[in-house]
Amino acid sequence: MLYDVRLRIRQVYTPPATAGRYLLRLMPADLPGAQRLVTGILEGEPAPQERWDGRDFFGNAVAEVAYKAAQAELGFSVRARVQRLEAAVPQAPAPLLAALGDEITASLSLAPDSPHHFTGRSVRVAAFAEASDYARAALPADATSLSAVQAIGEAIHRDFRFMPGATTVETPVEQVFTLRAGVCQDFSHFMIACLRGIGVPAGYVSGFLRTIPPTGQTRLEGSDAMHAWVRAWCGQAIGWVEYDPTNAVFARGDHIVVAYGRDYSDAAPTVGAVRSAGTQATSHAVDVVPVEAPAAPRNGG
Amino acid sequence: MKRETAAAPSLPLLAHYRAPWNSPDELLDSRGAIRPVWRAFVDDLSRLPAEEVSLRFARGDQYLRDAGVFYRRYGDEEAADRAWPLSHIPVLIAEEEWTAITQALTQRAELLEAIAADLYGEAHLVRDGILPPALIAASPEWLRPLVGVTPHAGHFLSFLAFEIGRGPDGAWWVLGDRTQAPAGAGFALENRLATTHVFSDLQARASVRPLDDFFRAFREALFAQRPDGNGAAAILSPGPMADTYSEHAYIARHLGLLLLEGEDLAIENGRVHVRTVDGLNPIGLLWRRLDASFADPLELNEHSQIGTPGLVSALRNGSVAMVNALGVGVLESRALMAFMPRVCEAVRGEALKMPNIATWWCGQKAERDYVLANAERMMFAPALSTGLPFEAAAQRSLANVLGEGGRDLAGALARRGGGIVAQEAVQLSTTPAYAGGQLEPRPINLRVFLARTQAGWIAMPGGYARIGRAGQADVVSMQQGGAVADVWVIGPAAGAPPAPPSVSATPVARSRPGSLPSRAADNLFWLGRYVERAESLMRLKRAYHVRLAETGDSQLPVLLHLENFLTFRRAFLDAAPTGISGVLAAALTSAGRVRDRFSVDGWLALNDVTHSARALATLPPGHETAHTLNHLLREIAGFFGLVHENMMRTTGWRFMGTGRSLERAMQIASLLGEYTQPGVPDGALDVAIEVGDSAMAHRRLFAMEVNRTNVLDLLAFDLRNPRALLSLLADFKEQVAALPHAVEDGAMSPLLRAAHQIHGDLAVESAQSVTTSALFKVWGDLAAFSELLSDTYFR
Repeated sequence: MLYDVRLRIRQVYTPPATAGRYLLRLMPADLPGAQRLVTGILEGEPAPQERWDGRDFFGNAVAEVAYKAAQAELGFSVRARVQRLEAAVPQAPAPLLAALGDEITASLSLAPDSPHHFTGRSVRVAAFAEASDYARAALPADATSLSAVQAIGEAIHRDFRFMPGATTVETPVEQVFTLRAGVCQDFSHFMIACLRGIGVPAGYVSGFLRTIPPTGQTRLEGSDAMHAWVRAWCGQAIGWVEYDPTNAVFARGDHIVVAYGRDYSDAAPTVGAVRSAGTQATSHAVDVVPVEAPAAPRNGG
Repeated sequence: MKRETAAAPSLPLLAHYRAPWNSPDELLDSRGAIRPVWRAFVDDLSRLPAEEVSLRFARGDQYLRDAGVFYRRYGDEEAADRAWPLSHIPVLIAEEEWTAITQALTQRAELLEAIAADLYGEAHLVRDGILPPALIAASPEWLRPLVGVTPHAGHFLSFLAFEIGRGPDGAWWVLGDRTQAPAGAGFALENRLATTHVFSDLQARASVRPLDDFFRAFREALFAQRPDGNGAAAILSPGPMADTYSEHAYIARHLGLLLLEGEDLAIENGRVHVRTVDGLNPIGLLWRRLDASFADPLELNEHSQIGTPGLVSALRNGSVAMVNALGVGVLESRALMAFMPRVCEAVRGEALKMPNIATWWCGQKAERDYVLANAERMMFAPALSTGLPFEAAAQRSLANVLGEGGRDLAGALARRGGGIVAQEAVQLSTTPAYAGGQLEPRPINLRVFLARTQAGWIAMPGGYARIGRAGQADVVSMQQGGAVADVWVIGPAAGAPPAPPSVSATPVARSRPGSLPSRAADNLFWLGRYVERAESLMRLKRAYHVRLAETGDSQLPVLLHLENFLTFRRAFLDAAPTGISGVLAAALTSAGRVRDRFSVDGWLALNDVTHSARALATLPPGHETAHTLNHLLREIAGFFGLVHENMMRTTGWRFMGTGRSLERAMQIASLLGEYTQPGVPDGALDVAIEVGDSAMAHRRLFAMEVNRTNVLDLLAFDLRNPRALLSLLADFKEQVAALPHAVEDGAMSPLLRAAHQIHGDLAVESAQSVTTSALFKVWGDLAAFSELLSDTYFR
C-alpha cells in the first residue's frame, strides 16, 4: 500500500527560548523488504541555523537542528510518500517460551537488532514484579514466544482503557499499570515490561497509522497523532514481530515505522535542549492517506 | 613469605611493629628484617626526636591547609571540605620493582585501549564469544550513541589509573581499572609537596624519582591532541559539588588549563566553544573529569543538568579531542575483570603481565557453581558496579548483594546471576604509618597513573597510596576513614646525579588571558557584589547595635527607623538568606565556582568571615553583637586587601571590581534616598554619616552641624570623599570603561553609555538641588545596569 504522510509539529515557548538544539526522529524509515521511503522532506520553520542528518545506533534517521536566536514558536513538518508492504505472518515454528533464553544467549552480537539490547532495564522501562505476574497470568498453556506476545497484547487491550489525558509523556510504567489507562506509548511501555519480565526481548516502535480505515472497517485509535507499538524478538528463526496493543493487532500493512528503540527515550520524535526558563506547549497534526495508485504492489497475504 | 611472627628489629621506633603473619609487609621481609630500600629512611627517622617528628608533620599539614587541598566526603549532611588525610610516612618502592609494575600496567593500558576500540567498533570480541554480549549490552556505561564514532586523536584512552595491591604471594595484583575520569593525579602532586615539607632532608638523600616530568610530558601530549593544533585546552568538571573539585581547580592552575563546566560550552557549526566575555572561543581539547553520561543531555542522560547539548555531535565531527573518550567507563565494569586473561590472550597473544584479582561473572553456570561452593572467601558486588573492591564495606556477602535472605541463594543466583560478580577476598600487604611515636602496619594499595604521550605510555613515578585503618586488611578507603600517602620510587644509587629535566623543543602553548569564560566573569562580578553588600549590612547593623548598647531602648525612633529600613531590605535577621550570613554564603558559593581563578588565601579569608558571621545569630543584641560586627568588618577589609594585593590584574579582577563598585554605589544611593527624606527621626542623619564611613570627615568639615544639605554634600557630591556617591559613580564609570569591548571602533558600547548616563545624571545636581527620588533613581538605574551587564557578557 502506498501512503502520503503529512506531519506538522508546533512548539510554542513562553517566554521565547534563547537558543535550542533538537533531535528529530520524524521521517518514515526505509526497511528493506517491509517499507520503502519513496520520497520525504523534513523542514523546520523557521529554518534552523544548523542542520545535520544522520543515523542513530538503532539505525533511525535523525535530524539534528540548532537555533541560535530566540524563538517564540517552532514548527517541524514532514511530507513523505511511503510504500508499506504487508508483513507476512510468521511461518517458522516459534520456540517455547522456556527455550527462548538459550536462543538469546546463542546470539553473539551487539548489532542494533540483537536481542541483548532489549532484555534488561532501559531508560524508561524495566520489568517489575506486577507486570511479570500480569504477563504470566495472560499466557496460554505451553506458550511460545509468539503466542505469548499475542496473548499479552490482547490482555492489555482488554484490561486497559484508551484515555488521552490520563497520563503524560513522563508517566512511569508502574503507574500506567495502576491506572489501567493511558495512550499508545503507555500500553507499549507496559507490554515491553511484561515481555521482558517473562524473558522475551521487547522494544518500542514509533510511527504512523493510516488515518481513514479501508471501507467497512473502523478507524484505528491513535491515528490522529504519531503512534507507538511494540516489537518482540521471537527467536532466531522468526526474528522480530511487531504488535500494536492499543488496537490488539499485529502491525502489518497499516502501520508505518518511523523509529525503533528500547523504549520511548531511544525513539522519541523530538528531543530538545532549550535554554529557556519558561513553559512549552506542543501540538501535532498527522494525515496518513492511501494514494490511489494503480500499481501498488502487495506482498503475500 | 609466610612467617609465624615478625621478629621486631631493635629500633625503638619499631618496638611494637607487628606485621600480620598471613600477608607481606612493605617494610619488613619474611624474617622480620628491614628491607634494603627502607633502611636509610628508617635509620634517619629513628634519629629524629618525637617532638621534632610532630613539628615536621605539622609543617606538612600546614602546607596542605595553606594550599587549599581538600576533599569532599559523600553522604555528609552538609557537603563540607575536609582536611586532606595525609599519612606522613611515604611508601618506599625500589626502582627495579617499579619498572616491572610500569611495564605490566602499560600492557594493560594497551589492552584496555584495544577493548574500547572493539566495543565501539566491530565488536569482534563479542562475535568470537570472548566477551558476553549480555554483559556489555546491560552496561549503562556502554554508550550506544558513541558506537561507530572514532575519537579524533585515534585512541580512546590517554589517562588511566590502576589500583594495585600486593597479595599474600608477594606479587602485585590489579584491583581495579580507572578509565572514566581517573582522580588523584593532582592530589599525588600535593602528597609529594606536603611530604617534602616533612622529610626534605631524608628525601634528598634517598634519590627519589620526581613527579614533574610526568606532568610536563602529559601536558604537552594534551596540547598535541588538539585538532590542527588549535583551540584552548580545558578541564571539563562537574562543578563544585564533585568530591574532587578542589583537585580539578588545582590541576587546572598547575597545568595552565581552563577549568570549565558543561554550561560554559556552546556548540556552534559542529565545533565546541567556550562562552567568554569576548564571545565564543574555540576549544581544541577537553580533559573530561565528569562522568560520560552527563556530558550531553540531548544524546546521553536526558536529565543531566551539567552537560552540553550537542557535545556528542561535535565529537562525531572530530572537531574536538576528549581525554578520555566518552564511553570508556564500560571498561570499569567489575565483571569485565573475569574476562581479562582470555581477552589478553585473544587480542595480544600473550598472558597478562600482572594478574587482576580473581573474578567470576555469575551469568555463566560453571562460574556460578564454583562461586557457590566457595562463597565464604568471596566478595560480591553488582556485575556492572564501577566501584572498587576494597572500598565498600557494604554489599559484601552474596545475600547482601542479592538483597534476599539466605533461603535459596543458589536459585536466586541462577535467576539473577548476570547481575552479580564475585571476587576473591585478598589480604593486602601492610606499610608503616606513624602513630603515638611508633610505626605500626596498615594495609595499603597503590594508585598508579599512566599517561599517553607521543613516545607511548608513561607512568607517574609514585605519588599516591591509599592507607587503610589498622586491623582492616581488606578495606582501604578514604571514605571509610583511611588515609593517603606519598609513594617514593627509590633509584638504584643514592646520590646519583638526577637526570636533567627534559626540555621540550616546541614552546608551551598558553591559553590567552583575555578569554575569560562568561560563567567565571558572572561569578566574580557577583562575588564582588555580595561581599560589598555584606559589608554594607554589617555597617547598618553595627550602627543599630551600638545605639542599642548606648541607650538600651529598642523603641527609640531612630532605632525603629533603622529596623524598618533593614526589614524593608529583608535583612534584619542575620540568618535570613538576605541577611549577613545569607549574603556571605552566596559570596562563598560564587567564589567556590571560580576556585581556579582565586587565590587560596582569599578563599580561606572568605571562609573565615563566613564562619565568624554564623555567631551573629546566637549573640544577644547590643554590645556583644556590635563588637562582633567590628571584628567582622576588619576581616572583610582583610579579604579585600588580599584580593587587591594578590589577584592578577586580569579581566576577571575587573569584573569583581565592577561588581563591588556597583554594589557600593547602590548601597549609598539607597541609604541617602532613605535617610534624606523629610520627617526622618532625630539622629538619623548621624546614622547615615556613620554608615557612609565619613564621620571623621564630617566633623572636621562641618564642625558637628548635621543637616540634610551638609550630609548630602559630604556623602553624595564631595569629590574629595572617596565614598561620596559621585566619587563612587566616577570610579564605577572607569571600571566599566576597562571591561572588554567597552569601546569598539571608537564608539562606546551601550553599557558604557549607560554608565556615563548614570554618572552624568547625578553630576549635574548639587546638594541643594538633588531630590530624594533622584537618589532612588540612581539606585534603580544601577540595578538595571546590572541586568544589562549580564546580558552583555554572561549569556
